[in-house]
Amino acid sequence: MIEVVLNDRLGKKVRVKCNDDDTIGDLKKLVAAQTGTRADKIRIEKWYNIYKDHITLKDYEIHDGMGLELYYN
Amino acid sequence: MANRTDPSAKSIRGTNPQNLVEKILRSKIYQNTYWKEQCFGLTAETLVDKAMELDHLGGTHGGNRKPTPFICLVMKMLQIQPDKEIVVEFIKNEDYKYVRVLGAFYLRLTGTDIDVYRYLEPLYNDYRKLRRKLGDGQYALTHVDEVIDELLTKDYSCDIALPRIKKRLTIEAIGALEPRKSALEDDFEEEEEKEEDDQLMDTDVGAHEKDYYRGQSPTRERGRDRKRDSHRHRERDHEREYERDYERDRGRGRDRDRERDRDRERHREKDYRERERDRRDRERGSRRRSPSRSRSRSRDRDRDRDRKDRDHDGEERRRRHARDNSSSPRRGAAEPPKKKKEKEKKKDDGTDHPDPEIAEANRIRASLGMKPLKL
Repeated sequence: MIEVVLNDRLGKKVRVKCNDDDTIGDLKKLVAAQTGTRADKIRIEKWYNIYKDHITLKDYEIHDGMGLELYYN
Repeated sequence: MANRTDPSAKSIRGTNPQNLVEKILRSKIYQNTYWKEQCFGLTAETLVDKAMELDHLGGTHGGNRKPTPFICLVMKMLQIQPDKEIVVEFIKNEDYKYVRVLGAFYLRLTGTDIDVYRYLEPLYNDYRKLRRKLGDGQYALTHVDEVIDELLTKDYSCDIALPRIKKRLTIEAIGALEPRKSALEDDFEEEEEKEEDDQLMDTDVGAHEKDYYRGQSPTRERGRDRKRDSHRHRERDHEREYERDYERDRGRGRDRDRERDRDRERHREKDYRERERDRRDRERGSRRRSPSRSRSRSRDRDRDRDRKDRDHDGEERRRRHARDNSSSPRRGAAEPPKKKKEKEKKKDDGTDHPDPEIAEANRIRASLGMKPLKL
Protein backbone atom coordinates (compact mmCIF):
# COMPACT_ATOMS: atom_id res chain seq x y z
CA MET A 1 0.00 0.00 0.00
CA ILE A 2 1.41 3.35 -0.93
CA GLU A 3 0.20 6.84 -0.22
CA VAL A 4 0.35 9.41 -2.98
CA VAL A 5 -0.06 13.15 -2.64
CA LEU A 6 -1.81 15.07 -5.39
CA ASN A 7 -1.60 18.84 -5.45
CA ASP A 8 -3.27 21.18 -7.89
CA ARG A 9 -1.52 24.31 -6.58
CA LEU A 10 -4.84 26.09 -6.27
CA GLY A 11 -5.68 24.87 -2.81
CA LYS A 12 -6.59 21.24 -3.36
CA LYS A 13 -4.13 18.83 -1.81
CA VAL A 14 -5.23 15.24 -1.56
CA ARG A 15 -3.58 12.23 0.04
CA VAL A 16 -4.72 8.96 -1.45
CA LYS A 17 -3.93 5.43 -0.25
CA CYS A 18 -3.66 2.91 -3.05
CA ASN A 19 -1.92 -0.24 -4.17
CA ASP A 20 1.07 -0.06 -6.41
CA ASP A 21 -0.60 -2.30 -8.95
CA ASP A 22 -3.56 0.06 -9.33
CA THR A 23 -3.78 1.84 -12.65
CA ILE A 24 -3.82 5.59 -13.08
CA GLY A 25 -7.48 5.30 -14.00
CA ASP A 26 -8.20 3.72 -10.60
CA LEU A 27 -6.21 6.46 -8.90
CA LYS A 28 -8.29 9.06 -10.71
CA LYS A 29 -11.47 7.39 -9.46
CA LEU A 30 -10.16 7.50 -5.88
CA VAL A 31 -9.22 11.14 -6.23
CA ALA A 32 -12.65 11.89 -7.71
CA ALA A 33 -14.28 10.20 -4.74
CA GLN A 34 -12.28 12.40 -2.40
CA THR A 35 -12.43 15.74 -4.17
CA GLY A 36 -15.84 15.60 -5.83
CA THR A 37 -14.77 16.29 -9.41
CA ARG A 38 -15.57 13.75 -12.07
CA ALA A 39 -12.91 11.13 -12.70
CA ASP A 40 -12.71 11.86 -16.42
CA LYS A 41 -12.09 15.55 -15.74
CA ILE A 42 -8.92 14.85 -13.80
CA ARG A 43 -5.51 14.84 -15.37
CA ILE A 44 -2.48 13.63 -13.46
CA GLU A 45 0.86 14.92 -14.66
CA LYS A 46 4.43 15.07 -13.61
CA TRP A 47 6.28 17.92 -15.31
CA TYR A 48 4.60 17.78 -18.73
CA ASN A 49 4.29 13.96 -18.74
CA ILE A 50 0.61 13.25 -18.81
CA TYR A 51 0.07 9.94 -17.07
CA LYS A 52 -2.00 7.49 -19.07
CA ASP A 53 -5.00 5.71 -17.64
CA HIS A 54 -4.13 2.12 -18.36
CA ILE A 55 -0.63 1.98 -16.88
CA THR A 56 -0.04 0.94 -13.29
CA LEU A 57 1.61 3.08 -10.64
CA LYS A 58 4.35 0.52 -10.30
CA ASP A 59 5.23 0.87 -13.97
CA TYR A 60 5.39 4.64 -13.62
CA GLU A 61 7.67 4.07 -10.57
CA ILE A 62 5.42 6.05 -8.29
CA HIS A 63 6.57 5.34 -4.75
CA ASP A 64 5.17 5.99 -1.34
CA GLY A 65 4.87 9.67 -0.47
CA MET A 66 5.50 10.89 -4.00
CA GLY A 67 3.79 14.08 -5.13
CA LEU A 68 1.88 14.30 -8.39
CA GLU A 69 0.41 17.30 -10.14
CA LEU A 70 -3.32 17.51 -10.41
CA TYR A 71 -4.82 19.26 -13.40
CA TYR A 72 -8.24 19.39 -14.92
CA ASN A 73 -9.41 18.62 -18.40
CA MET B 1 -13.44 38.30 -32.07
CA ALA B 2 -14.41 35.11 -33.79
CA ASN B 3 -15.27 33.61 -30.46
CA ARG B 4 -17.76 36.15 -29.32
CA THR B 5 -21.39 35.20 -29.30
CA ASP B 6 -23.70 36.86 -31.79
CA PRO B 7 -24.83 40.08 -30.09
CA SER B 8 -28.42 39.54 -31.17
CA ALA B 9 -28.47 36.07 -29.60
CA LYS B 10 -30.69 35.51 -26.60
CA SER B 11 -29.24 34.40 -23.32
CA ILE B 12 -29.88 30.79 -22.52
CA ARG B 13 -30.77 29.87 -18.97
CA GLY B 14 -29.65 33.25 -17.79
CA THR B 15 -26.18 33.24 -19.28
CA ASN B 16 -24.22 33.62 -22.47
CA PRO B 17 -25.13 30.53 -24.50
CA GLN B 18 -21.51 29.59 -24.93
CA ASN B 19 -21.18 29.28 -21.16
CA LEU B 20 -23.22 26.10 -21.32
CA VAL B 21 -19.93 24.51 -22.20
CA GLU B 22 -17.58 24.83 -19.30
CA LYS B 23 -14.44 26.95 -19.37
CA ILE B 24 -11.76 24.35 -19.89
CA LEU B 25 -13.58 22.61 -22.71
CA ARG B 26 -14.43 25.95 -24.27
CA SER B 27 -10.76 27.01 -24.35
CA LYS B 28 -9.84 23.64 -25.83
CA ILE B 29 -12.38 24.12 -28.61
CA TYR B 30 -11.17 27.66 -29.39
CA GLN B 31 -7.62 26.38 -29.75
CA ASN B 32 -8.63 23.47 -31.96
CA THR B 33 -7.64 23.61 -35.65
CA TYR B 34 -11.00 22.33 -36.86
CA TRP B 35 -12.65 25.22 -35.10
CA LYS B 36 -10.21 27.77 -36.44
CA GLU B 37 -10.24 26.56 -40.01
CA GLN B 38 -13.67 25.16 -40.68
CA CYS B 39 -15.90 26.91 -38.23
CA PHE B 40 -14.89 30.47 -39.04
CA GLY B 41 -17.75 32.58 -40.30
CA LEU B 42 -20.26 29.73 -40.51
CA THR B 43 -23.92 30.52 -40.94
CA ALA B 44 -26.86 28.25 -40.45
CA GLU B 45 -26.78 27.04 -44.07
CA THR B 46 -23.07 26.39 -44.28
CA LEU B 47 -23.26 24.72 -40.89
CA VAL B 48 -25.59 22.14 -42.39
CA ASP B 49 -22.95 21.30 -44.98
CA LYS B 50 -20.35 20.84 -42.29
CA ALA B 51 -22.74 18.73 -40.25
CA MET B 52 -23.39 16.45 -43.19
CA GLU B 53 -19.68 15.66 -43.29
CA LEU B 54 -19.67 14.40 -39.69
CA ASP B 55 -18.94 10.73 -39.27
CA HIS B 56 -18.71 10.29 -35.53
CA LEU B 57 -19.89 11.87 -32.32
CA GLY B 58 -18.11 12.27 -29.04
CA GLY B 59 -16.63 14.68 -26.55
CA THR B 60 -12.92 14.87 -26.07
CA HIS B 61 -10.29 12.21 -26.39
CA GLY B 62 -6.65 11.59 -25.81
CA GLY B 63 -4.25 12.68 -23.12
CA ASN B 64 -4.66 16.38 -23.83
CA ARG B 65 -8.42 16.10 -24.45
CA LYS B 66 -8.72 17.04 -28.09
CA PRO B 67 -12.30 17.98 -28.98
CA THR B 68 -14.17 16.22 -31.78
CA PRO B 69 -15.67 18.05 -34.77
CA PHE B 70 -19.08 17.17 -33.37
CA ILE B 71 -18.52 19.16 -30.24
CA CYS B 72 -17.02 22.03 -32.24
CA LEU B 73 -20.19 22.22 -34.31
CA VAL B 74 -22.32 22.16 -31.16
CA MET B 75 -20.29 25.11 -29.92
CA LYS B 76 -20.79 26.88 -33.24
CA MET B 77 -24.52 26.40 -33.03
CA LEU B 78 -24.47 27.84 -29.53
CA GLN B 79 -22.56 30.78 -30.88
CA ILE B 80 -24.79 31.63 -33.84
CA GLN B 81 -28.05 30.44 -32.25
CA PRO B 82 -30.11 29.23 -35.20
CA ASP B 83 -33.89 29.54 -35.02
CA LYS B 84 -35.99 26.81 -33.53
CA GLU B 85 -37.43 25.95 -36.95
CA ILE B 86 -33.98 25.27 -38.30
CA VAL B 87 -33.14 23.05 -35.35
CA VAL B 88 -36.39 21.15 -35.75
CA GLU B 89 -35.54 20.70 -39.43
CA PHE B 90 -32.23 19.20 -38.39
CA ILE B 91 -34.04 16.76 -36.16
CA LYS B 92 -36.75 15.88 -38.63
CA ASN B 93 -34.47 15.12 -41.55
CA GLU B 94 -34.16 11.42 -42.19
CA ASP B 95 -31.15 11.25 -44.45
CA TYR B 96 -28.27 12.32 -42.30
CA LYS B 97 -28.24 10.72 -38.89
CA TYR B 98 -25.39 12.83 -37.50
CA VAL B 99 -27.23 16.03 -38.44
CA ARG B 100 -30.19 14.61 -36.54
CA VAL B 101 -28.13 13.89 -33.45
CA LEU B 102 -26.48 17.31 -33.66
CA GLY B 103 -29.87 19.01 -33.75
CA ALA B 104 -31.10 16.83 -30.89
CA PHE B 105 -28.07 17.68 -28.78
CA TYR B 106 -28.47 21.40 -29.38
CA LEU B 107 -32.14 21.25 -28.55
CA ARG B 108 -31.41 19.37 -25.36
CA LEU B 109 -29.01 22.12 -24.33
CA THR B 110 -31.15 25.09 -25.24
CA GLY B 111 -34.79 24.04 -25.51
CA THR B 112 -37.55 24.10 -22.92
CA ASP B 113 -38.49 20.87 -21.17
CA ILE B 114 -41.64 20.33 -23.17
CA ASP B 115 -39.88 20.96 -26.45
CA VAL B 116 -37.13 18.56 -25.49
CA TYR B 117 -39.55 15.72 -24.82
CA ARG B 118 -41.75 16.51 -27.76
CA TYR B 119 -39.02 16.57 -30.37
CA LEU B 120 -36.60 14.03 -28.99
CA GLU B 121 -38.99 11.22 -28.20
CA PRO B 122 -39.88 10.44 -31.82
CA LEU B 123 -36.19 9.80 -32.33
CA TYR B 124 -36.52 6.75 -30.11
CA ASN B 125 -37.77 4.95 -33.20
CA ASP B 126 -34.56 5.50 -35.09
CA TYR B 127 -32.37 2.43 -34.78
CA ARG B 128 -29.50 3.44 -36.97
CA LYS B 129 -25.93 2.82 -35.91
CA LEU B 130 -23.62 5.59 -34.86
CA ARG B 131 -19.93 5.79 -34.28
CA ARG B 132 -18.87 7.24 -30.98
CA LYS B 133 -15.35 8.29 -30.07
CA LEU B 134 -14.46 7.40 -26.50
CA GLY B 135 -12.12 9.20 -24.15
CA ASP B 136 -9.17 6.97 -24.91
CA GLY B 137 -9.43 7.54 -28.66
CA GLN B 138 -11.15 4.29 -29.59
CA TYR B 139 -14.42 4.08 -31.43
CA ALA B 140 -17.49 2.41 -30.02
CA LEU B 141 -20.75 1.38 -31.63
CA THR B 142 -23.97 2.96 -30.46
CA HIS B 143 -27.40 3.68 -31.88
CA VAL B 144 -29.49 6.79 -32.34
CA ASP B 145 -32.10 5.72 -29.81
CA GLU B 146 -29.40 4.92 -27.26
CA VAL B 147 -27.96 8.40 -27.66
CA ILE B 148 -31.40 9.98 -27.29
CA ASP B 149 -32.02 7.92 -24.19
CA GLU B 150 -28.76 9.15 -22.75
CA LEU B 151 -29.72 12.73 -23.49
CA LEU B 152 -33.09 12.35 -21.82
CA THR B 153 -32.09 10.37 -18.76
CA LYS B 154 -28.49 11.18 -17.90
CA ASP B 155 -27.11 14.56 -16.94
CA TYR B 156 -23.75 14.33 -18.69
CA SER B 157 -23.00 13.49 -22.28
CA CYS B 158 -20.11 14.11 -24.65
CA ASP B 159 -18.16 15.95 -21.97
CA ILE B 160 -20.89 18.55 -21.55
CA ALA B 161 -23.03 18.79 -18.45
CA LEU B 162 -26.60 18.78 -19.71
CA PRO B 163 -28.95 21.30 -18.12
CA ARG B 164 -31.56 19.91 -15.76
CA ILE B 165 -34.97 19.24 -17.22
CA LYS B 166 -38.08 18.20 -15.35
CA LYS B 167 -38.92 14.54 -15.26
CA ARG B 168 -41.57 13.36 -17.64
CA LEU B 169 -43.93 12.32 -14.86
CA THR B 170 -43.88 15.84 -13.46
CA ILE B 171 -44.76 17.35 -16.81
CA GLU B 172 -47.55 14.83 -17.27
CA ALA B 173 -48.88 15.64 -13.82
CA ILE B 174 -49.01 19.28 -14.80
CA GLY B 175 -50.85 18.22 -17.90
CA ALA B 176 -48.56 19.85 -20.42
CA LEU B 177 -47.77 16.56 -22.12
CA GLU B 178 -49.66 13.43 -22.90
CA PRO B 179 -48.49 10.16 -21.31
CA ARG B 180 -45.97 8.57 -23.56
CA LYS B 181 -47.24 6.28 -26.23
CA SER B 182 -44.61 3.84 -27.38
CA ALA B 183 -44.45 2.64 -30.94
CA LEU B 184 -44.20 -0.88 -29.61
CA GLU B 185 -47.45 -0.61 -27.71
CA ASP B 186 -49.51 -2.55 -30.24
CA ASP B 187 -46.95 -5.33 -30.34
CA PHE B 188 -46.90 -5.27 -26.57
CA GLU B 189 -50.67 -5.74 -26.41
CA GLU B 190 -50.48 -8.65 -28.79
CA GLU B 191 -47.80 -10.25 -26.65
CA GLU B 192 -49.94 -9.76 -23.57
CA GLU B 193 -52.92 -11.42 -25.17
CA LYS B 194 -50.84 -14.29 -26.38
CA GLU B 195 -49.34 -14.75 -22.92
CA GLU B 196 -52.76 -14.74 -21.32
CA ASP B 197 -54.03 -17.37 -23.71
CA ASP B 198 -51.02 -19.56 -23.08
CA GLN B 199 -51.42 -19.22 -19.38
CA LEU B 200 -55.07 -20.14 -19.44
CA MET B 201 -54.09 -23.37 -21.11
CA ASP B 202 -51.50 -24.15 -18.43
CA THR B 203 -51.98 -24.10 -14.69
CA ASP B 204 -53.88 -21.06 -13.52
CA VAL B 205 -52.27 -20.88 -10.13
CA GLY B 206 -48.68 -20.17 -10.92
CA ALA B 207 -49.30 -18.12 -14.01
CA HIS B 208 -50.43 -14.77 -12.76
CA GLU B 209 -47.95 -14.72 -9.95
CA LYS B 210 -45.22 -15.30 -12.46
CA ASP B 211 -46.25 -12.41 -14.67
CA TYR B 212 -46.47 -9.91 -11.93
CA TYR B 213 -46.51 -6.89 -14.14
CA ARG B 214 -48.74 -8.30 -16.83
CA GLY B 215 -51.25 -9.81 -14.50
CA GLN B 216 -54.89 -9.25 -13.77
CA SER B 217 -54.41 -5.80 -12.31
CA PRO B 218 -57.03 -3.05 -12.53
CA THR B 219 -57.05 -1.23 -15.83
CA ARG B 220 -55.56 2.01 -14.55
CA GLU B 221 -52.66 0.20 -12.95
CA ARG B 222 -52.24 -1.84 -16.06
CA GLY B 223 -52.14 1.34 -18.10
CA ARG B 224 -49.52 2.76 -15.84
CA ASP B 225 -47.57 -0.49 -15.82
CA ARG B 226 -47.78 -0.73 -19.53
CA LYS B 227 -46.56 2.81 -19.93
CA ARG B 228 -43.75 2.25 -17.50
CA ASP B 229 -42.85 -1.04 -19.02
CA SER B 230 -43.18 0.14 -22.58
CA HIS B 231 -40.71 2.86 -21.63
CA ARG B 232 -38.48 0.25 -20.07
CA HIS B 233 -38.85 -2.06 -23.00
CA ARG B 234 -37.88 0.71 -25.36
CA GLU B 235 -34.78 1.31 -23.37
CA ARG B 236 -33.67 -2.30 -23.47
CA ASP B 237 -33.26 -4.44 -26.49
CA HIS B 238 -36.37 -5.62 -28.24
CA GLU B 239 -34.73 -8.97 -28.77
CA ARG B 240 -34.35 -9.49 -25.09
CA GLU B 241 -38.13 -9.27 -24.67
CA TYR B 242 -38.70 -12.02 -27.19
CA GLU B 243 -35.77 -14.02 -25.93
CA ARG B 244 -37.12 -13.97 -22.44
CA ASP B 245 -40.53 -15.20 -23.58
CA TYR B 246 -38.96 -17.86 -25.72
CA GLU B 247 -36.75 -19.02 -22.89
CA ARG B 248 -39.60 -19.07 -20.45
CA ASP B 249 -41.72 -21.15 -22.79
CA ARG B 250 -38.86 -23.41 -23.56
CA GLY B 251 -38.01 -23.72 -19.87
CA ARG B 252 -41.56 -24.73 -19.04
CA GLY B 253 -41.54 -27.33 -21.75
CA ARG B 254 -38.18 -28.54 -20.65
CA ASP B 255 -39.33 -28.90 -17.09
CA ARG B 256 -42.24 -30.95 -18.27
CA ASP B 257 -39.95 -33.07 -20.42
CA ARG B 258 -37.54 -33.52 -17.58
CA GLU B 259 -40.33 -34.61 -15.30
CA ARG B 260 -41.58 -37.04 -17.89
CA ASP B 261 -38.08 -38.38 -18.50
CA ARG B 262 -37.46 -38.77 -14.84
CA ASP B 263 -40.67 -40.69 -14.38
CA ARG B 264 -39.81 -42.87 -17.30
CA GLU B 265 -36.35 -43.47 -15.86
CA ARG B 266 -37.73 -44.29 -12.51
CA HIS B 267 -40.21 -46.73 -13.93
CA ARG B 268 -37.51 -48.31 -16.00
CA GLU B 269 -35.22 -48.42 -12.99
CA LYS B 270 -37.89 -49.91 -10.83
CA ASP B 271 -38.62 -52.58 -13.38
CA TYR B 272 -34.94 -53.31 -13.81
CA ARG B 273 -34.41 -53.44 -10.10
CA GLU B 274 -37.38 -55.72 -9.62
CA ARG B 275 -36.26 -57.94 -12.42
CA GLU B 276 -32.81 -58.19 -10.92
CA ARG B 277 -34.20 -58.92 -7.53
CA ASP B 278 -36.50 -61.52 -8.97
CA ARG B 279 -33.62 -63.20 -10.69
CA ARG B 280 -31.49 -63.10 -7.57
CA ASP B 281 -34.27 -64.37 -5.36
CA ARG B 282 -35.11 -67.07 -7.74
CA GLU B 283 -31.55 -68.24 -7.58
CA ARG B 284 -31.36 -68.04 -3.84
CA GLY B 285 -34.69 -69.63 -3.23
CA SER B 286 -38.26 -68.72 -3.03
CA ARG B 287 -38.30 -68.55 0.74
CA ARG B 288 -36.76 -65.11 0.87
CA ARG B 289 -38.64 -63.80 -2.04
CA SER B 290 -42.10 -63.11 -0.79
CA PRO B 291 -41.57 -61.20 2.48
CA SER B 292 -38.61 -59.17 1.26
CA ARG B 293 -40.05 -58.53 -2.13
CA SER B 294 -43.46 -57.61 -0.94
CA ARG B 295 -42.00 -55.35 1.73
CA SER B 296 -39.49 -53.79 -0.59
CA ARG B 297 -42.04 -53.46 -3.33
CA SER B 298 -44.54 -51.78 -1.10
CA ARG B 299 -41.82 -49.61 0.32
CA ASP B 300 -40.62 -48.77 -3.14
CA ARG B 301 -44.10 -48.04 -4.26
CA ASP B 302 -44.75 -45.82 -1.29
CA ARG B 303 -41.45 -44.11 -1.76
CA ASP B 304 -42.12 -43.62 -5.43
CA ARG B 305 -45.55 -42.29 -4.76
CA ASP B 306 -44.23 -39.93 -2.11
CA ARG B 307 -41.48 -38.84 -4.39
CA LYS B 308 -43.89 -38.33 -7.22
CA ASP B 309 -46.17 -36.25 -5.03
CA ARG B 310 -43.24 -34.30 -3.72
CA ASP B 311 -41.98 -33.71 -7.19
CA HIS B 312 -45.36 -32.63 -8.35
CA ASP B 313 -45.45 -30.07 -5.57
CA GLY B 314 -41.94 -29.08 -6.43
CA GLU B 315 -42.97 -28.65 -10.03
CA GLU B 316 -45.84 -26.43 -8.95
CA ARG B 317 -43.56 -24.40 -6.79
CA ARG B 318 -41.01 -24.30 -9.52
CA ARG B 319 -43.56 -23.00 -11.97
CA ARG B 320 -44.67 -20.41 -9.51
CA HIS B 321 -41.15 -19.16 -8.91
CA ALA B 322 -39.97 -19.79 -12.43
CA ARG B 323 -38.32 -16.39 -12.47
CA ASP B 324 -36.17 -17.23 -9.47
CA ASN B 325 -34.80 -20.35 -11.15
CA SER B 326 -34.54 -22.20 -7.88
CA SER B 327 -36.29 -25.38 -6.81
CA SER B 328 -36.71 -26.54 -3.25
CA PRO B 329 -34.25 -29.48 -3.05
CA ARG B 330 -31.58 -27.44 -4.77
CA ARG B 331 -32.13 -24.39 -2.60
CA GLY B 332 -31.47 -26.27 0.59
CA ALA B 333 -28.15 -27.51 -0.69
CA ALA B 334 -27.05 -24.13 -2.00
CA GLU B 335 -27.59 -22.18 1.20
CA PRO B 336 -24.72 -23.42 3.42
CA PRO B 337 -22.00 -22.85 0.80
CA LYS B 338 -23.46 -19.44 0.00
CA LYS B 339 -23.30 -18.42 3.65
CA LYS B 340 -19.68 -19.52 3.84
CA LYS B 341 -18.85 -17.56 0.70
CA GLU B 342 -20.46 -14.41 2.12
CA LYS B 343 -18.48 -14.71 5.33
CA GLU B 344 -15.27 -15.08 3.37
CA LYS B 345 -16.21 -12.19 1.13
CA LYS B 346 -16.55 -9.88 4.14
CA LYS B 347 -13.00 -10.64 5.13
CA ASP B 348 -11.78 -10.14 1.57
CA ASP B 349 -13.25 -6.66 1.34
CA GLY B 350 -11.12 -5.41 4.17
CA THR B 351 -13.81 -3.05 5.30
CA ASP B 352 -13.62 -4.44 8.81
CA HIS B 353 -10.01 -3.49 9.33
CA PRO B 354 -9.20 -2.19 12.83
CA ASP B 355 -7.59 0.99 11.50
CA PRO B 356 -10.51 3.29 10.60
CA GLU B 357 -8.63 5.09 7.82
CA ILE B 358 -7.83 1.88 6.04
CA ALA B 359 -11.33 0.58 6.56
CA GLU B 360 -12.71 3.78 5.07
CA ALA B 361 -10.36 3.58 2.11
CA ASN B 362 -11.36 -0.01 1.54
CA ARG B 363 -15.00 0.93 1.66
CA ILE B 364 -14.49 3.51 -1.06
CA ARG B 365 -12.54 1.02 -3.12
CA ALA B 366 -15.22 -1.59 -2.77
CA SER B 367 -17.88 0.86 -3.89
CA LEU B 368 -15.80 1.66 -6.97
CA GLY B 369 -15.31 -2.01 -7.70
CA MET B 370 -11.63 -2.22 -6.88
CA LYS B 371 -9.79 -4.77 -4.80
CA PRO B 372 -8.92 -3.82 -1.22
CA LEU B 373 -5.60 -2.34 -0.17
CA LYS B 374 -2.66 -4.64 0.14
CA LEU B 375 -1.08 -3.96 3.50
